[in-house]
Amino acid sequence: MRREEFLENIRHRTRYGRYKPTKAPDASWTPGRRAAAREIGDPAARFLEELEALGGHGRRVGGLEEARDYVVGLARSSGARLLVRWDVEELERLGADGPLREAGVEVAVWRELEDFREVAGRADIGLSTAEWAIAETGSLVLESGPGKGRAVAILPPTYVAVVPVERLVRTVSEAIRMYAKRNSLPQNLCFHTGPSRSGDIEQSLATGVHGPGEVHVLLVD
Amino acid sequence: MEKTGERARREGIESGVEGFNERARRALADPELHDSIALFTRKTLKGRAARLAELPDAPGLRERAYHIKQETMANLDRYLAQMADAVEERGGNVFFAETGEDVVRYVGELARKKGAKVITKSKSMATEEIELNRRLEEEYGELELEVVETDLGEWIAQLAGDAPSHIVAPIMHMNRRQIARVLSRVAGEPLPPDVRALAGFARRRLREKFLAADIGISGANFGVAETGTICLVTNEGNGRMVTSIPPVHVVVMGIEKLVPRFEDLEVFVQLLARNGTGQKLTVYTSFITGPRGADELDGPEEFHLILMDNGRSKLLGTEFEEALYCIRCGSCLNVCPVYRQTGGHAYGSTYSGPIGAVITPLLKGDREAKDLPHASSLCAACWETCPVGIPLHDLLLKLRSRQVEEGLAGKAQEIAFKGFEEAVEHPAAYRAGARLGRLVQRPLVRDGSVRRLPPPLSGWTDFRDLPPLAERSFRELWREGID
Repeated sequence: MRREEFLENIRHRTRYGRYKPTKAPDASWTPGRRAAAREIGDPAARFLEELEALGGHGRRVGGLEEARDYVVGLARSSGARLLVRWDVEELERLGADGPLREAGVEVAVWRELEDFREVAGRADIGLSTAEWAIAETGSLVLESGPGKGRAVAILPPTYVAVVPVERLVRTVSEAIRMYAKRNSLPQNLCFHTGPSRSGDIEQSLATGVHGPGEVHVLLVD
Repeated sequence: MEKTGERARREGIESGVEGFNERARRALADPELHDSIALFTRKTLKGRAARLAELPDAPGLRERAYHIKQETMANLDRYLAQMADAVEERGGNVFFAETGEDVVRYVGELARKKGAKVITKSKSMATEEIELNRRLEEEYGELELEVVETDLGEWIAQLAGDAPSHIVAPIMHMNRRQIARVLSRVAGEPLPPDVRALAGFARRRLREKFLAADIGISGANFGVAETGTICLVTNEGNGRMVTSIPPVHVVVMGIEKLVPRFEDLEVFVQLLARNGTGQKLTVYTSFITGPRGADELDGPEEFHLILMDNGRSKLLGTEFEEALYCIRCGSCLNVCPVYRQTGGHAYGSTYSGPIGAVITPLLKGDREAKDLPHASSLCAACWETCPVGIPLHDLLLKLRSRQVEEGLAGKAQEIAFKGFEEAVEHPAAYRAGARLGRLVQRPLVRDGSVRRLPPPLSGWTDFRDLPPLAERSFRELWREGID
């Protein structure tokens, strides 16, 4: 009832309104120069460049062993006590859990956690993979789903993603169009671009205000 | 500072938006404010220019954005129905709110039902517009709700009792020393005016709230009719927290935020980030479709979408319809020569700058926001910078003319235009008037312009200089022959 009335009001106004805007915006919009537009040559190199420019840390690694060593080394050097990770096949294959535990780092896997808020909120490092990575912007594309906790990439102060290099796409448009073609979208989809940042205080950059201030991405060959 | 906040609230949101000139005069006398505005607008505009130039076809994107919005508004009823169906199909609840009061009641009753104590909020201009926080605390006082803003700037504004002064950067008007004073009061100990220290304090404080929240409330930057998806952009991650951690997520979305298809976001997400903050993409660009899935461990169990009209539908089918295309990037504020001098609080309304001067009278009524269409030099920089091509300067003129039709314009203005009308219809009277004017103005001209006129004409010269009439008119020169 309420919905019908609400929509009827709008229907009436759009159908019987006198004014139809006809003016398109002036095509000579100021930033019309194309000189600065950059081609994306090597997507992996561009991804790493963009991520570094945002204050993130990116590295292309030769294989899963190298990725594992990086994760374990990072946990060690940062004195992490708890790492929380997605429960997905790729991270099983990474095989970091054993070496991490040996190094004295507790590992929580995103599966049957009693209190996910408490665990993710206490974790020093969050570890996940990503559906895609966008070269143009240095973004990770994260989907929610079974085993893929949203909190893993938000609550811990350090976030690490291990992404196969073949999951790179070139542009934001390409990524959005890919999802536009799908029949069903994941409940939560996020383009995550570098460390959490705020410019609210005098436009000075503050990282890690709410989300992770440290972001590491490993592109695995 | 606390005082400005009180003032902005009383004058701007609850009652009519009178007194722009007085507030502007005070703002002009505040050098700290002036520095803060200059710092923000210069930096943002520079970033904007660089980011837009990187796109292969920025004008093309703008053109597409305009046409998508045009199509959306022409079929808004159909798209709203489609959006509502899609959300429900994904297990979400939809509520159509005609007014801000409807929104307050829906959220209040939901909080009662859930026994909620803590509500976290992600920055939302729609909820600022209806003063959701204050009204929840007042009208549902018995629930003892704690409503916490979590965007760093918005939180500081809330603590200071200040209204946001910019659509995108809420505390752009404050410097770090002022911010340190506000946060020190909350900390109960003096905090240094150091960005890292202040941000660190905010992170610790708000972290407790994120984890304790029973309900998370967000706005929506865009809503997709086809899929029922809400698109939300933030940089700090507070948007992700508010929409992922609490068991209930409520979205308050203005009906004009709709786009028909998911692929349309390709246009809007890029325009908003590049034009609004000079970023290629905001740090967290989230696309949320319904509550969590059955097999997910986190994410909200309930998802509520409130589609809010609050005066917007009145613009449909009228000459002001294009004002609904706005994506709230704040760019027109950054380029506006009036805003850059006065800042946002002078407008006394939730939305400031050119877009605020247009939509405030449209949403609240001409009488309530009489001053705002005049807070502009009509230079059209707003139109030029607008990423969806809203002819803001044109709409300001139309609003001024509507004021005249409604008899809201001042008596002096009416007499002046009547006089002008008479004069141009009678050439002899016009010539005589011009001769008289040249004679009378002589004692008034200082340094090449007229700075002060006697009442009622002082209404003009109080705020502007008047160029003097030329010693000899064009017609006289023409008659004598111009070399």
